[in-house]
Amino acid sequence: MTLKERLGKEWLFCDGGTGTILQEKGLKGGELPETWNLLRPDDIKALGRAYFDAGCNIVNSNTFGANRFKYDNVAEVVAAGVRLCREARHEAGRDDDAYVAIDIGPTGKLLAPMGDLPFNEAVEVFAEEIKAGAEAGGDLVLIETMSDSYEAKAAIIAAHESCDLPVIVTMVYDETGKLLTGGSVEGTVAMLEGLKVDAIGVNCGFGPDKMIPIVKRILACCSLPVVVNPNAGLPRTEGGKTVFDIGPEEFSNIMKEIAEMGVHVMGGCCGTTPAHISELIKTVSPLPFKAPEKKHGTYVTSFSECVEIGPKPVIIGERINPTGKKRFKQALRENDTDYILTEGLKQEESGAHILDVNVGLPEIDEPSMMENIVFKLQSVTTLPLQLDTTDIEALERGMRIYNGKPMINSVNGKREVIEAVMPLVAKYGGVLVGLPLDEAGIPETSDGRIAVAKKIYEAADEYGISRDDIVIDGLAMTVSSDPTSAIATLDTVRRIRDEFGGHSILGVSNISFGLPARELITAHFLTMAMQNGLSCAIINPCNDHMMASYRSYCALMNKDPQCLGFINAYSEYKSDGTFGGATAGAAGTAASASTGAKLSLAESIERGVTGRAAEAMQEGISEGTDPLELINSELIPALDKVGQGFEKGTVFLPQLLMSADAAKAAFEVVKKSMADKPRQVKGKVILATVKGDIHDIGKNIVKVMLENYGYDVIDLGKDVAPETIVDAAIKDDVKVVGLSALMTTTVVSMEETIKLLREKKPDTKVVVGGAVMTQEYADKIGADAYSKDAMQTVRYCDEVFGV
Amino acid sequence: MPLGVTIPENEVRRYMGFRGPVEASPETDAMIKKAVSSLEKDCSPKYVSKEYPVTVEGTTVHFADITIESRALARNLAGCTHCVLFAATAGPACDMLVKRAAVTSSAYASCCQAAGAAAIEAYCDLINDKIVEEYEAKGLFARPRFSPGYGDLSLSHQKDWFRLLDITKNTGIELTDSLLMVPTKSVTAIIGLSPNKLPCVKQGCESCTMSQTCAFSRKE
Repeated sequence: MTLKERLGKEWLFCDGGTGTILQEKGLKGGELPETWNLLRPDDIKALGRAYFDAGCNIVNSNTFGANRFKYDNVAEVVAAGVRLCREARHEAGRDDDAYVAIDIGPTGKLLAPMGDLPFNEAVEVFAEEIKAGAEAGGDLVLIETMSDSYEAKAAIIAAHESCDLPVIVTMVYDETGKLLTGGSVEGTVAMLEGLKVDAIGVNCGFGPDKMIPIVKRILACCSLPVVVNPNAGLPRTEGGKTVFDIGPEEFSNIMKEIAEMGVHVMGGCCGTTPAHISELIKTVSPLPFKAPEKKHGTYVTSFSECVEIGPKPVIIGERINPTGKKRFKQALRENDTDYILTEGLKQEESGAHILDVNVGLPEIDEPSMMENIVFKLQSVTTLPLQLDTTDIEALERGMRIYNGKPMINSVNGKREVIEAVMPLVAKYGGVLVGLPLDEAGIPETSDGRIAVAKKIYEAADEYGISRDDIVIDGLAMTVSSDPTSAIATLDTVRRIRDEFGGHSILGVSNISFGLPARELITAHFLTMAMQNGLSCAIINPCNDHMMASYRSYCALMNKDPQCLGFINAYSEYKSDGTFGGATAGAAGTAASASTGAKLSLAESIERGVTGRAAEAMQEGISEGTDPLELINSELIPALDKVGQGFEKGTVFLPQLLMSADAAKAAFEVVKKSMADKPRQVKGKVILATVKGDIHDIGKNIVKVMLENYGYDVIDLGKDVAPETIVDAAIKDDVKVVGLSALMTTTVVSMEETIKLLREKKPDTKVVVGGAVMTQEYADKIGADAYSKDAMQTVRYCDEVFGV
Repeated sequence: MPLGVTIPENEVRRYMGFRGPVEASPETDAMIKKAVSSLEKDCSPKYVSKEYPVTVEGTTVHFADITIESRALARNLAGCTHCVLFAATAGPACDMLVKRAAVTSSAYASCCQAAGAAAIEAYCDLINDKIVEEYEAKGLFARPRFSPGYGDLSLSHQKDWFRLLDITKNTGIELTDSLLMVPTKSVTAIIGLSPNKLPCVKQGCESCTMSQTCAFSRKE
């Protein structure tokens, strides 16, 4: 029988420790264990043999860390490991009932954005190992000891794209049930199930006793076979050697307790030996076996958050969407990602649980934009995302690099759309929004919509997507053109719940299109929809009326314990209709706490009062003053005054930055008012933190200052290769390149970048800065100028551009 | 609080570059408080440590299977019989907080950056104190902690620390090809242990060769 046929039907047993046993055989601390596949094959084979003899059904090849970051000959090392394990199995006479696992551990590198390994490169790294293992005759891929769900996702995609073997994934949690990257048990299980693995579990970290609470949580939410491979207790150092305290008997006694909880595959990890596993098998195999049961939860996750759809309505922020928004379209065209991210952060602070992401515009490269925005959003927010696009390539690129289980907006009843979207959801996982419309158009009645919804559920069955992961849209359409439309929508929402036990979603604000005072009718409609069972509301969470409707509903329907959410939101509510602090806080603008009663534009910038600076600019523009006049007569002089204070040492960096933030907020108002008109810029400047360096706060400060002084900044980010910088300089014929390096070790990359620029683009000036940089150093590496801070960079650019 | 230690606000101000008689404004203080409280809440600190016998000959230091050539480290470890290597991180939350703040407010971003630096230092002090206490009970006295990259102790020895302590697996810290650590709020160090107590050990900025020119130096 194949492993797939047996998983979840009978007890299966994994092997125990590898590294700890090899250390006893003489593997030195820091020596790579997989080198023994070639140097001491007999020892490796003997280890495998001992586990087969102990009765294991699944034995790992010695390939855990055999990746390209540690080996130049990955294929050779992996193939040898798998071959030795196969030989051991044959010699043990277990060819018929035991399986050889291609063992895949973490790369040892952190994935971007946290670290420097791009997601798709991680997929390649794992694919190289897995292909070699599959060609050498491995029977399954066992991805283990993963403490980052993102890295596990990369390994799973690599496995599915390289072979058809079953995939088992076990993660390492800490004692509170969190991954190192912050993910929870439930969120991780949801993501792994979505990625269609064959069994899910936990390994390493600590002994079996401490694993019990985590196993309990996995069993509560997981529909797949569950694997438990603990250590023989916590490691201790004794006379320079690592030792484990739990012996075979104690180990199997605790494992018996875990077996009785209803897990399906058991084995060991660090410190466990063939003796532990042999005892474990003896103790557990006579116990009754419980097959896994299907659980019914709907989870949308990010790397750290897990939002459950069902228990109470979920708020999905609708603001990351260019429809009808000039300023947003401009941001997309100019690749102004900060603007888009700010829209996301504002909604998070206003109470959104999930953010919808729609970045489609005919004149831009939507797939690249989707990938870029998803990547950037998940580096600044913990909220899960809803990928909203009709462009299938954009959808796939977004889903692939998404760190978690996203929502997908959307599929509908059209066969062509089902065939394009559902395979992606089947591959990457996701909660899919289904619009009940098809080739025949939008049904006007709830009967028609329910019929299409049924078709969508059936299509999900066909593609192996759980019905729990389908959310049906009730299709809100404006009541101003069809007086029965709200009724049809509410009926649909209610029937999805009652007839399918399903979840529903609405783009709520569509209901009021074409009417005055839209927020009034939209907010009331939201309440009615929630009362009819709406699961997800796509709304603007920055709108006070909408959130008032949501919070009131939750308080009234016993979905807000002790009304605490409501009380916290409205403790400063005034009966004149001002909503108080609940939704007023703009993202991250701590300085706006003091709103500064009626400061002038210049004063508010000097004092760094962000909210007032924007307001004063708006007042000026509303009074008919030319925005450029306001910039030249108030904004720039105020910035200059603070800048001069900074240069003299009477103003410190935080105050300079607060003024810069205030000026940026005022500029944002100008940008919005001139969204259609070409901007006047002094010149283009490239900024980058050089290759190998990951510090970018200094560079970001320079960026804000340059933008405030009228420069168009091309920000290439951190860890940027010399070639990328030179190419960007040539492409836009950029006159000034600013390079930042924080460490002496990375100044070398700065020198290389300057050399390459001199060669390929000799007329471009280079200004350098960063903690270790000095004038002397700058001269030595051939820079045109050294800036000790952001103000000096501004001054230098003004000099070069002659303004 | 998950960080397990208070982040000293005066240290945050120092990392932000406040000097001399100028006071931080109420707005800045509010920002500092906000950054400090989110970090104390969101940090997920981890550390790993191991003890080795150490020998020092001239400017050469031996422990485990490695030999280090460094005048400054040899001076720090003079008279020591043992050492403890450790690695500590405040976790990934701080890096994300800084990135997030940078989108909307560079002032708050610099505040979070400074609070993160103060957080990892405070956490290291906590571990350091534990180690000092543990070994004093055994009659060994700790020297000030010393890190790769200090003085003439080459940053390339980061690789030895990562290998000996299996830092990535134990704490989640990654060493990049350019020898930097991610999460950025992470520290590796060695603490010498000697049977002799040294009076009045110079520590921190006071013992650093860069203290005269460094913009962040702790000064009276």
